[in-house]
Amino acid sequence: MSMTVFVLLQTPIDQQELLCGQLAGVCRCVSELSSSPVRLLHLRKSKYAVRMKDKFLWALSCVVDIPDVSVCDLLDQLIALFCFYNGPVRQSYQLYSKQELALRWARYLCHLQGGSTELHHIFSCLRTIDSTHIDPLLLLKAALILQACQRCPLVLAGCILYRGRVVSTQMPPALTVKVMVYETQTYSQDFQVTANGLSSLVGSPFSSTATTQVFLMPTELHMLRCPPVDRACRSHCNQPPCQPSRSRLLSRTLSDTPTTDTDSSSLDPTHCPPPSYKTVPSSPRSSLSDELCFSPSPSRVNTPIHSNLMNQSEYFTPDSHVHSTSNGTNLCAVEEHLAGLNIKQDIDANSGSETKSNGLNSDQDIQSEEIKAPANGYEQSNCLDNHSDLDSQIKSEENKLDANNHVTNKNGNGETEEEAKTKSKQINRKLKEKNEPTNTPSPHETLEDTSLVPLVLYQHRVKGLVLALLVEPEFITDHSAREEVHHSSLASLNGLEAHLRNTSPGTPGPPGPYTFAHYDCIQNTLTTNVCGRSVGPQDQAFVKATKLVHSHFSRLDTLQEAIVRNASSAVYGTRTTAQETYFLQQGTPVRNSGSPDPQDSAFSLPRKARLRLLKHGVNLL
Amino acid sequence: MKCLLLANESAEVLFYWTDTEFEQRVQEQYGVSQEEGERLPAFEDSINTLFAPIIISCSTMVDRLGDNYTSFSTENNHIYVLHQFEECLYIAVNGDGDETEEDLKRKIFVMKKLTEIMFGMVTFSGALLRKELRPQDTEQRNRLWKKLRSLLETYSRLRENDQSFLVEAVERLIHPTLCEQCIEFLERRLVQQINSNMDRMGEEVLHAFILVHTKLLAFYSSRNASNLYSSDLLALIILVQDLYPSKINLDETSELESSSVPEVFYTPEPSPPERESVRQRGDSPPVFQFVDPDVQMAEDSLQTLEAPTPDPSAPSRVFLESKECPMPHSMYCLPLWPGITLVLLTKVFFYYKTSKAKTICTVSMSYLFIYLFIYLKSTFTSQLQNAWTDFKNKAFSRSGSGFTRDLLPSCRNMKTQLCGVYRQFFAAECMGSSQRLAPHLQERALSMVQEKLMDWKDFLLVKSKRNITMEFPGLIHFIYVDRSNGQMIAPSLNVTDRTVSELGKGPLADFIKKKVWSLVATAQRYLQKGYATVTLRDGDYFYCYFLWFENETGYKLEVIDIPSSPDDGAPVGMLTCDYYRKLLRYYSKKHQNEVVKCYELFTVHLGVIPNEYILQHCSQLARKLWEPTRIPLL
Repeated sequence: MSMTVFVLLQTPIDQQELLCGQLAGVCRCVSELSSSPVRLLHLRKSKYAVRMKDKFLWALSCVVDIPDVSVCDLLDQLIALFCFYNGPVRQSYQLYSKQELALRWARYLCHLQGGSTELHHIFSCLRTIDSTHIDPLLLLKAALILQACQRCPLVLAGCILYRGRVVSTQMPPALTVKVMVYETQTYSQDFQVTANGLSSLVGSPFSSTATTQVFLMPTELHMLRCPPVDRACRSHCNQPPCQPSRSRLLSRTLSDTPTTDTDSSSLDPTHCPPPSYKTVPSSPRSSLSDELCFSPSPSRVNTPIHSNLMNQSEYFTPDSHVHSTSNGTNLCAVEEHLAGLNIKQDIDANSGSETKSNGLNSDQDIQSEEIKAPANGYEQSNCLDNHSDLDSQIKSEENKLDANNHVTNKNGNGETEEEAKTKSKQINRKLKEKNEPTNTPSPHETLEDTSLVPLVLYQHRVKGLVLALLVEPEFITDHSAREEVHHSSLASLNGLEAHLRNTSPGTPGPPGPYTFAHYDCIQNTLTTNVCGRSVGPQDQAFVKATKLVHSHFSRLDTLQEAIVRNASSAVYGTRTTAQETYFLQQGTPVRNSGSPDPQDSAFSLPRKARLRLLKHGVNLL
Repeated sequence: MKCLLLANESAEVLFYWTDTEFEQRVQEQYGVSQEEGERLPAFEDSINTLFAPIIISCSTMVDRLGDNYTSFSTENNHIYVLHQFEECLYIAVNGDGDETEEDLKRKIFVMKKLTEIMFGMVTFSGALLRKELRPQDTEQRNRLWKKLRSLLETYSRLRENDQSFLVEAVERLIHPTLCEQCIEFLERRLVQQINSNMDRMGEEVLHAFILVHTKLLAFYSSRNASNLYSSDLLALIILVQDLYPSKINLDETSELESSSVPEVFYTPEPSPPERESVRQRGDSPPVFQFVDPDVQMAEDSLQTLEAPTPDPSAPSRVFLESKECPMPHSMYCLPLWPGITLVLLTKVFFYYKTSKAKTICTVSMSYLFIYLFIYLKSTFTSQLQNAWTDFKNKAFSRSGSGFTRDLLPSCRNMKTQLCGVYRQFFAAECMGSSQRLAPHLQERALSMVQEKLMDWKDFLLVKSKRNITMEFPGLIHFIYVDRSNGQMIAPSLNVTDRTVSELGKGPLADFIKKKVWSLVATAQRYLQKGYATVTLRDGDYFYCYFLWFENETGYKLEVIDIPSSPDDGAPVGMLTCDYYRKLLRYYSKKHQNEVVKCYELFTVHLGVIPNEYILQHCSQLARKLWEPTRIPLL
């Protein structure tokens, strides 16, 4: 057996191999016992979300108090992201060097968890622009730019991002997240780093366009090509079966669909044009503190993910509470080529005691197994070469990367035949997915190597503003189409950028006497007045309770509302299929005994939340 | 698909329990991997082999990373929970969705508690526990494992069906007058008579109590007895239920009873426990029936602590918590009628060795080496002496390593030696003795209580199913727990009964029962994270949970921040590591001048009732229920 091991961030080098070997071995053993892949693995001090598929095993660890559902979502997103930019997993593991792969994983991970609050981690949500201080007309303008681009039949859908935040998007949240990585990466002063196979680079550093190949899952693509609403301007749409569970996501982004956005109320009705495309930040007024607190300072914004990898301290500032979770995050991906890895066989062969003393799956075992493993000559030598190079590779890698960011690599290029999935299993999975719609597509889908469809991501950047479009592959060769899109949007983008740049973030009002978080499950956005940096004790109490109640909601479908109270705080949580809202009334609670008491202030929270949050555009009635 | 196993550090399985499904699954897996014509390996070997990689990986993780697995879950929702106690690793598996991760953890802790009840402090040493759990003699081992499995199944049955095992508090029959009479009877007549009788053979009754099914009718402790903790009492109820399982169906019982002419004295069949328990479990066939119930017990059980009792008058040896360490007691279970049992707990006398042994226990519990030193001056165990010298040299001498991690092996060695001495004094000693209350004395006790309760018997059996009723419109169910004395009150939820409980029967009652069970689990999870008040709106129901403190006069004390415990800590409960005792101790630090009481209330209401009314109900309910818990226990 051979393994490709990437251990990113924070894990001391001597523990990496041990950890990978042990985790992979134990996961294999458990999945054999249960005839099902391991999903979650808890240790006393940390927990790992696990994905096992074919010969691949990914494990993503985080601190124990992050809800299970959140860390699993994060790993799924991460894998989906990798496949989006790199295509089928197996292929990319053959194509790219280990260093390159390690860098990519690190980049995607940083993107998913960089620069947001702990609440963002809990809900794994999109970062959106703070719309409270932006003229609604600008949001409208952004939506119109996107619509204009769609006149070109090769353009499927797009989004506009400003400084790493969504201004307007036509794509479902899961896709928007993926597109944003590239934006964050290109939004750097360093244009030399173009790891994603940048095929063209036009223009000055202040205005440039770029295209890159990306890979979409058939369901995603189908949604873009054939939205459930009839679009007269499109003629090339054939009609594959529709995906009802997904359709509602897209309907939000279509011009033909009346928008029911909560903050459409903030738009001046007299200026209200035909309903816009927008999936705009549902961020209401009070989150003005939001912008100040966790929108990055200019230097931060300008720091590309890539250089952040070089200098971890940028992202993981020890004094920042928000990042404490990022601090605890490790990723290890173990690729197992099944040639040798069969723990049960190992044990049978070594018959008991010997194996016991060796421990399972120690590194030597793996390597010797690998050498023994039958593989064709070329691959075999390749793999051995890789091993002899291992040390120097690690060293050079270490020079490149920050000391905190170790990358270990052992690569074997062996291909064994894919394990056939039984049909019933797939059906079960499909059923399960249907029952619990998630924003992130299951990586099982992503991992179906053959099914990924190549598409092109076109990006037009004007300083902090980026227009990102998903276009058909022919777009690259179709010069006139490119010209058309470029020219039709250039002026508007410049104008929009100037306006957004000149929009003052506004002075943060005094923090309200309450704390709230409102999560929109459909658009995958979060509205909150929890400040990213300066988390006070009340906010901490709020975040702690939110984690617990959110994971309770995720476990129990029928649960509608909850009030949880300890001596110092009481938090109210409520949810519908479309949203989750959490509310804490600040101030010292009046003396109470905790015994049942109708006068208890904790039980007036639902009423207060309804009143208070109305002005944030959150309707709990 | 369930499994629970205990293994030591060298991946040797010390005990396992599986259900039929799990066994079949394992055998299927082996069936596939076996060559044609080859014999299937023994089931125990298969278990060993299957789990060995996990067990070994655990010890590798502990050794090299100082961390350990606590659980795995798979995509088809199988759950594995792991917990390490001293040198023993416990693994519990569920693959049928019946149990949550928390349930499995609790099961592990209960298993640990049961071994403590059976072996006392011997459980502290992996090597000694191995000796106890895996006796050389296969026959003996099978017998012991069968007993443990049966206890585990009894616990699971109670946990699933009995509210007092759901919240882990003892349920009392609410009948103050009768209760008081019985306590008086136990004190003045029964215990006094036995303890003053010449035939008690050195035994002294410390505690006596009467159980109606799992509910407590009366409890008496003699003056010089140390406190019997609720966790022990609950564990003893499991033991009693294992010996005399309650009939699931009350009606049958009463019909059976009423058909027999009420005799003056009812003497139980000589050896009903084994037969009855086997018949009982016949509904859901147990996986492991190694031997038929009539198998003759070997007489050479001196080597193990678990001394199965072929003879009904022989007591069970139980180790009960005391201030110093778990002390051995003899437990006599005397079945008055089916469902009603008298239990006597007696102190085991050790003649001249007792005081010395006590010292050791104090030492080994707290590792107070000063005491050890005093003890060593008069000891005779040279191994312990050597261990002590070794430790002393390492810790205190100049050339030694001082108080570092390197000291661990010496500490461990000493612990083993101390546990060895403990075993020698308490465990082996007790097992060897045939000391017991004379059978005629036991019979006398039995008939005395039978006579006393004759007129009450049927009432009690019904009462145990209808302990308390509710009078609030919209209130569906409640559980009220006094954590300071470990007692609870709740209306019955007898879903399997032919008798109609307050909730009726059938699917609705079953649905409510599930909701109540999940409410308790949820509340405990929040409590573990420091939340003492929780209200939930779930479907058509509204759930409340409150925990609060009062002083003795009923004055409600202010809430404090309850520390949140780590995920791998002991589950919230009393049977397992007594969370509430610790909580009370924690709270009492702030109220040193008064006696602090701790109460919990769980309620389920119809969701349509306005919140204000629900909270008012809860408040009134708490006030009303406060009274019955005042009945003295003595």
